[in-house]
Parts: sequence; structure tokens; C-alpha cells
Amino acid sequence: MSTSTTTSTTSKHAAEAASPASAIATLEQRKADLEIQLHHDVRAMLASWEAKKQSYQGEFYSYTVRGKEIRVANHTESLAHTRVPKISLPAFKDWGEIVRWCMQENVPGEFPFTAGVYPFKRTNEDPTRMFAGEGGPERTNKRFHYLSKGMAAARLSTAFDSVTLYGEDPDYRPDIYGKIGNSGVSVASLDDAKKLYSGFDLCAPTTSVSMTINGPAPMLLAFFMNAAIDQECEKEIVRRGMEDEIRAKIDAIYRERGIARPVYRHGDGSTELPDGNAGLGLMLLGVTGDQVLPPDVYDECKQRALQNVRGTVQADILKEDQAQNTCIFSTEFALRMMGDVQEYFINKAVRNFYSVSISGYHIAEAGANPITQLAFTLSNGFTFVEYYLSRGMNINDFAPNLSFFFSNGVDPEYSVIGRVARKIWSKAIKNMYGGNERSQMLKYHIQTSGRSLHAQEIDFNDIRTTLQALYAIYDNCNSLHTNAYDEAITTPTEESVRRAVAIQLIINRELGLAKNENPLQGSFIIEELTDLVEEAVYTEFKRISERGGVLGAMENMYQRNKIQEESLYYETLKHTGEYPIIGVNTFLSSKGSPTVIPEEVIRSTTDEKEQQIGNVRSVQQRSGDATAEALDALRSTAIRNGNIFDALMEAAKVCSLGQMTHALYEVGGQYRRTM
Amino acid sequence: MESPKPYSPTNKVRIVTAASLFDGHDAAINVMRRIIQATGCEVIHLGHNRSVMEVVDCAIQEDAQAIAMTSYQGGHVEYLTYMRQLLDERGAPHIKIFAGGGGTILPTEIEQLHANGVTRVYSPDDGRAMGLQGMINDVVERSDYVPPVSEALADRVAARDPIAIAQAISCAERGEHAKIAFVEGAKRAPVLGITGTGGAGKSSLTDELVRRFLLDHPDKTIAVVSVDPSKRKTGGALLGDRIRMNSVSDARVYMRSFATREANVAINPHVRDAIAILSYAGYDLVIVETAGIGQSDSQITEVSDVSMYVMTPEYGAATQLEKIDMIDYADIIALNKFDKRGALDALRDVRKQYQRSRQLFSQSIDVMPVYGTIASQFNDPGANTLYRALNDLLIQRCNLDWTSSYEITDEMSEKIYIIPPDRTRYLAEIVENNKRYDAFVEQQAELARSIWRIQGAIDQLASVDEH
Repeated sequence: MSTSTTTSTTSKHAAEAASPASAIATLEQRKADLEIQLHHDVRAMLASWEAKKQSYQGEFYSYTVRGKEIRVANHTESLAHTRVPKISLPAFKDWGEIVRWCMQENVPGEFPFTAGVYPFKRTNEDPTRMFAGEGGPERTNKRFHYLSKGMAAARLSTAFDSVTLYGEDPDYRPDIYGKIGNSGVSVASLDDAKKLYSGFDLCAPTTSVSMTINGPAPMLLAFFMNAAIDQECEKEIVRRGMEDEIRAKIDAIYRERGIARPVYRHGDGSTELPDGNAGLGLMLLGVTGDQVLPPDVYDECKQRALQNVRGTVQADILKEDQAQNTCIFSTEFALRMMGDVQEYFINKAVRNFYSVSISGYHIAEAGANPITQLAFTLSNGFTFVEYYLSRGMNINDFAPNLSFFFSNGVDPEYSVIGRVARKIWSKAIKNMYGGNERSQMLKYHIQTSGRSLHAQEIDFNDIRTTLQALYAIYDNCNSLHTNAYDEAITTPTEESVRRAVAIQLIINRELGLAKNENPLQGSFIIEELTDLVEEAVYTEFKRISERGGVLGAMENMYQRNKIQEESLYYETLKHTGEYPIIGVNTFLSSKGSPTVIPEEVIRSTTDEKEQQIGNVRSVQQRSGDATAEALDALRSTAIRNGNIFDALMEAAKVCSLGQMTHALYEVGGQYRRTM
Repeated sequence: MESPKPYSPTNKVRIVTAASLFDGHDAAINVMRRIIQATGCEVIHLGHNRSVMEVVDCAIQEDAQAIAMTSYQGGHVEYLTYMRQLLDERGAPHIKIFAGGGGTILPTEIEQLHANGVTRVYSPDDGRAMGLQGMINDVVERSDYVPPVSEALADRVAARDPIAIAQAISCAERGEHAKIAFVEGAKRAPVLGITGTGGAGKSSLTDELVRRFLLDHPDKTIAVVSVDPSKRKTGGALLGDRIRMNSVSDARVYMRSFATREANVAINPHVRDAIAILSYAGYDLVIVETAGIGQSDSQITEVSDVSMYVMTPEYGAATQLEKIDMIDYADIIALNKFDKRGALDALRDVRKQYQRSRQLFSQSIDVMPVYGTIASQFNDPGANTLYRALNDLLIQRCNLDWTSSYEITDEMSEKIYIIPPDRTRYLAEIVENNKRYDAFVEQQAELARSIWRIQGAIDQLASVDEH
């Protein structure tokens, strides 16, 4: 360094050492040597970088989805006429930065999908689910129609009552009776499912149904699929002008049975259909399509329904055993049934329905911190992958049927939960399991945290929900549910639910920055948090692996204990005030911010309960020997290791939920509680 | 707020804890049961999703003074009112009911429940005013009484009335032997003793045996007596076997949980009295399951006709087997969790030890009564074989006229794997895979940067050349 005192001496020195031409030759040689080591994908990445940037700068961006070209405007315009880009790309010059960014971040819609799985957000459909479940199916059906009135798409989310969640039938026994139709809808038969979704075309691309059910998920799914099939039959009957003929057939069936046909009837006795319900799905109430149509016509309808039906069933039994406790069967048997459902989906080409919603929500609600939520949920997801692969299914046949469900709190890690999840999933599916692009895409629904809502100063809850919703939308979630502020104390009202939906709409439609679809990319803290959370998840993966994987760790209640410990830590800090919660342990009002106690809560009526009991008893008896035969077939299918879901699809036509549950207990074993 | 001191009960207080039917919220009851136990009570914990019938049957059979419930899923008015009604109908109006459900139970409903005979429902405000320990002190103090003993106890025990049997057993525990003198001279029921190390899966295996017994003998009755250790420090105990027993809800089953109430014993001294009472009541079989407290389990053989030791393949080196007394004493050994690594070696080693301890060298080790089982697996072939062997031995030892039609196969217990054993490292492999990718990215990024810098240098040199 002592020689390079001035610029002129340096260049003179260099010029003396070697001629520029020979230095250039040396460098060119070195460059060529290095270029050979550059992976061809990386070379292509660098070659196309400028073009990639260009594609987001023109007026439109075009891409193809399943063979269809989609053109999307690249900018939105503000009131001040600023053209705000939907996707903003870095201004890097350094190739190292470009390569790292393309391989660890990339634009939305490209591996590793850190910023999102699709190039752009859907413009015709807000990711808002209409959540309902109360009383009998008629009341919830009415609520669904109320919520989806005027909406472009019907995205129905169903909450079931606890009797249904545990796979039992409504009954007069008082410990059951009090729970019929409370905190969710009572569904114990195919008739109930038909009424619940009547007036919504279950096979239309604009309808999607999510069902929050786990232990008895295969049975409820069988009810739902049969309801969709019978809707397709109904549409076919109308198309062929066979209405009168079919009605006569149904009348004859019921004359022979000597009982009245089931009807759509509200608790108050009225049989009026709610606004928006034109009655689709009710023509075949009390019978199934195969009883009234020729087999070939029925099979066509069935195939069409299965291939078009869109939705999600939660059905995640691992997180039930780890956190939520609505297990009814032994875990192994429940897993086997999940595999059967997925196998059935593959065989029948059910492509638009998620066979499982791998859920962290309940893990977080039980007290887990965001890292544990993410690590446990992803590890559960990979467990399903391993299990389905071991059954001989192809990764690309089932991975697109998997979806995820997270909780969103206010912790810092929640700002990157989607980014980290997508990144870990895609890297593993692509490189370890050899899955295609569709399989690599982790899609998730996210719900703001119920646990973060407090029963004190409940007006503040919407503020928390807003912040969580902002995290979620910036993180490019595929679907979002915002909780109502009064959920901490009661069943939400129409007013509180409307406010909750408004939170999402305000962010999506009013908030200027949200017009941009990758607002988190390029932030130093977001990138660093992403790395920290990703690393923390791997550390947890290793802990679980040391315990024999997810199932091995569950045997020793590792997950359960960890969740409890983390819950206790939060409660302790909340209690001491080290973890500040405004209006709960600090910033109390002059009255001390007392707990708000609701005057009354919405409960199902006596009429609704009695009607559900009457209906299910009728279902149990009306089909005569067919019910017993279907249950026998179900049991023997389980014993000889056949596909249980196949048998459930048949049994669901003539059996009640409780009948199927109990038949399966005999051949699969009941859940054994642990302490 | 300062936490009050735990109340010190004068009687042995037994409390049943559970969460309501179709209700998986067990966090609160888990906290409560721990405090109740630390307050010196014997807690029979049933866990979540329990019907009124199951809880009431349990409270009666266990002669508990109280039931503590949580309910967060609605229907609490019907549930708790029905519980009161059923307890009263079954002759147990003395059993108190305590409950909590946070904000889900409205103040008006609390009033209604108190009027319906529920002892006390705690509201969130109560929780804040009293604190957790304060609430539990209230529960325990109100439950600190001697449960009544029925008139005509002998007749009612003979009629197999569960409450009378429960009371008779409590009389024995309290040392009131005069009240149960009637049992003397009764023909003793066959007794199967089960013991084993903690965590070996004794209660699951016992449950599986009871389930098979009920299926195999549709007209026979069975009683289960289970013993768990008391805590020396507090005198409390967690009687946790019942939570695992799915088959005890059958009307042909009676189950009673004991705490040892003395340190360093595997068996409660009143178990013999309990066996006598259950024999008098005419149970066809009594199973005694004892706390596994290591190497002094062999007491069980003193009270049983046939004894079984439950262990797992995870005992360490084969020499460890030489220290296990029960291998010398037990008639039959169950090697549970047979899906664990090294199970086949363990089976051979335990059979060898069994053979050695009895000098049975003239027989093949394959006939030694050691059975591999996986109790957690439904209809496990090993558990089937074990059941049959126990059944046959009981018939032979006790000269029973039972006929068993239980079919068994020659199959060994074989784990039906969800994740194949050679794939259990999948999560570690994912970490390795993803980190390999990250390292590749870094390496490629560095390469690209070097190339870019070289290109920069070339450009600079070229510009020098131009001047």
C-alpha cells in the first residue's frame, strides 16, 4: 500500500506491471472458469433479469394458468396520479444480490414463492370467508344466504356444534340435548347437509365450502359430497324435464315407508326459503339420486360433481391430538381414514377440494408461540406427505390437495409466517420430494387470533384484529378471516361481524400501500426476521426428529407439553405486566376496565333441538335393512383394509353420523385420552 | 394479590375432575386438578369429553366426596342439572358438584344452577377475587367430610350395588372393619395381579384385557382395583389410570382407584379388603393393577392367583434383567410397546431370563410365557394372544368353568406403521435438504458476484486502455 500514494502512480505502476490487454485476457480466462461453475438455471436467471423487470413495468403483465392466458394491469393509480406498481422489483446491479434474491425471495408466483404463490392477487374475489353455524341447518342456511348476498363468490365456512364435532347424534339425553345447535350447526345426516347448503350451487366455480370438522371429518365429507352429487342429479333431472316423474317416484318411496317426507323447515315452523335460496338441493331431500335415476345417469352426475366441487375440510387429526382434543378414533385409525379420503380424491379426480387443512390455528390458540405454531404445523404437513407417499401415492397427485391454516397474532414473527412457510415447503417439496410447481405452492387460510382478544375493553379488540389483518394481507395470505371484537365474550352479532369484514375491506380497498402486492420485500428487518424464523423452525424440526418424528414425539406428549409451557409463560408475563396489554393489564380506565359480561348469548331453540332429534331418528329408521347392510359393509371394509371413505360414501346415504361413528369404533378403536 | 395458604383437609378427600361432554377444553381443569392434588386430595382425573353418566359412575364407584367440572362448550345448565339428578337417583345426594366455565356460564345461569343443587359455580369474577388457590380451598373445605355409609350394606354389596361396594371399601380404608365383617368367609374371586414399570402402558394394556374379557364372556362381571402412589409431601395423589380405561363404562365393570397412602409400598394395605368385598359382591374376576415403583413390585404376587409383569423393550442392557424381581415371580410377562427398537432381541433376552430364573432349561425358550404386545394398537394380535394365555391360566389355577371362544392367530404383534421405520428421520432430512439449497444459493451468489466484479474490472481496464 505504501507505493500507491496517488492515483497517477498507481495507474503508472499497473501499466508497467502488465499491459491492459494481457490483464484483460487473464481476467476473461478467470471469468470463463467461474462461469462454468455457474448452474445453468442461475445463468438463465441472470440472462433474463432485465426482461423480468421489464415485464412488470409495461402496462400489462401476462401469464398462463392451466392453459389460459391472464392479463393483469401492472399498476394502480392514486388520487395524486402516482402509478403504484403492483410488484416492485429491487434495483440491484450486483449479480450476487440478484442471484440471492431470485433464489431466496423471487417475485410472487415463482420458486421459492417467498412473496406469494400466485403472480398476482385475485381481483374478482376478496379473500373473505362467510363464517356461520348455529341452530339447525335451516337457520345456518339462512345466515349463509344473508352473508353472501350481493357477493361475487359464495365462500362458506361452516362451524359445527359440539355434538357433531364428536361424531354423535342429537338426543334427548340432557348432557347431549343442551349442546344441540349451540356454537355451531347440528348436522347428523345427508338431509341436514342438503338443507345446510341448499340454494348454493356446490359445483359452481364461484362456490367454495369450508368445513371445520376433524374427528368425524370423513363422515361429514361423505354427507357433503353426496349433497353435491344429488344437486348435480337435480340439475340433470330439470335439464331432462323429468321433475314430475321423479316426484312421483319419491312419493311412492315414502308411501311404501309409511312416513312423511323430510322438509326444509325453520324452528318456528315456517317452510319459507330464505332470500337468495331458490331451492337447489332440496328436490331429492329424503332420497338419493341413485334411487330415482338410472345408474349410468347417476354415475355421470356423481363424476361431474366430484370433479367440480370446491372447498376444504379441516380433517387434521395430528393437531387435534396435539392441541384441540376433538379426537374420537385412535390416531392411527384416523390417519388411515385421511389417507383413504386422499386416495379416493385421486381415484375420482377430485381436484378442487382440499382433503385437509393442516392447522396451526388451534396450536396457537392453545398457547404456542408463532415459531412453535409454524414448526408443528409444517412438521405435521410433512408427516401427511410421508404417510401418503408410503401408501404409494404420487406427490403431484396429492400435494395440491393439501392446504394450511394459521393463526395470526401480534408477535413480530407473525409478520413473516406466510413467507417462511412457503419457503420451507417449496424447497422441501421441490428438492427432496421432487414435486412439481403446483405441489410446491403452499396455500393458506389465516385467521386473526382469538386468544389475542380480551374480555376487558372489548372495543380495543378491533384494533388488534386490524393490525393482524394487515400483517396477513401484506404477507400475501390466500384467504383471511377477521374475528369479531365481541368473540371473547359471546357469539358474534351481525353488527360485530360486519365490522370485522370491514377491516379486511378497508385494507384491501382503501389502504393505498396494500395496492402494492409485495410491500414486505426488500425490508431489512423482514428479511432478517424471515431468516431467524426459518432457522428456528429447523431447530424445532431437529428436536422433533430426535424424538422419532411427529408421531414419536406425540407418544411422549412432546408437542402438548411444549404448548402448555409456552401458554404458561405468556400467562405469567401477562399477569406480572411484563407483557403489556392495553386495557387489560395497563392503561386501565378510571373504572379499572372490568370484564364485560354479556347479557345473553344466542342459543338454539327447543323447537330446533326437537326437530334435529326427530329428523335423525327418522333417518336411522326409514331405510330399513339398507342401514344395517351399509354399516356391515363399512365394518368389513375397515377389517379387510379396503378404502373406508368409499364405504362411507355409500353409508352416508342411509345412516346417521352417530351410527357410522359407532360402527367404526368397533373396528378401529376409540381414542384413548392421555394426561 | 397474595395467594392464600392451601387448606389442610382433615379427612381423606377424593375428588373427580373432568371436562364436559363434547368439550375438548382441558387446560383449565388440568391446572385445577394439579392444585387440588397439591392441596392434599386424591384426584381421579377423567380428562375431556366425558358424559354425565361416566362422571357419575366414576364418582360413585370411587366414593368421591365431590366432582369438579369445567364446561366451555355450552349446554352447562342441562349437563350439571342432569348430573345432580343422576347422583340423587343413584343414592349419592352427598356428592358435591363444583364447576367453572369462564364467561360462557352467564351470571343468571349460575343462580339457576345453584338453585338446581349444584354446590358452586365459579365465575371469572370469583376467580379474580379468590385466586386459584382460594377457589380450590373453597372446594376442598366443602368436600372435607366423611361420606355416608348405607344401611344394610351387606345385602347391597351382595346385590353388586356400586355405591355400597364403594362405601364398604372406604370403610376398610378408614379402618372401620366392624362394618365390613360380613365379607369374611366369602368365596374368593380369582385375582389377576398386574404390575410393571411406570410408562410401560399398564393401564392401556389392562383396558385392552378388560375389553376382550367383556367380549369373550358376555355374562361375566369384572372389577378393577388400581393403585397409584401418594405424594409424601402433600398426601395428595393423582389416580390417573381411569382416564385410559375406555372399557370401564360398561355396566359389568366396577373400578376403584387407590392411593398407596404410604410411601415406598407398591400396594395399598386395604387392597386385600377390597378383594374380599368384591368377592362377596360376586365379581367373576378381580384385576389388581399396582404402581410400578421399581424393584419391589413383587408384593402383587401375594394377593393374586395369576400375576403379570408389564415392561417394555427399553430396559437397557440384558444384565439389567437380572435385577428385575418380577421376572422371577410373575406368571406371565407382557413386553409392551413391542414396536420399539430392539423388541425381538428383548423378547429373546426376557424369555432367557425367565427360563434361567426358573431353571427351565429342558424347555425351549419359545414356550416361555413372555408376550410382545402393542396395547396402543387396535385389535393387536399380541394382546389377543396374551389375553388368551391369561384366561387359560386363570381357568387352570382357579378351577374355573369358564369357556373362552376368543380366537387368536399365530401372528406376532406387528406394528402397522404410519411412517415406515426407515423414514422416521424425514424432518432432519428436510432440514439438511433445505440447508443444502441455501448453501448452494450462497455459493452461486458468490460466483455470480465474482463474475460481475471481474466483468467490472475488465470494463475498467478496457477504459484505461482507451485513454
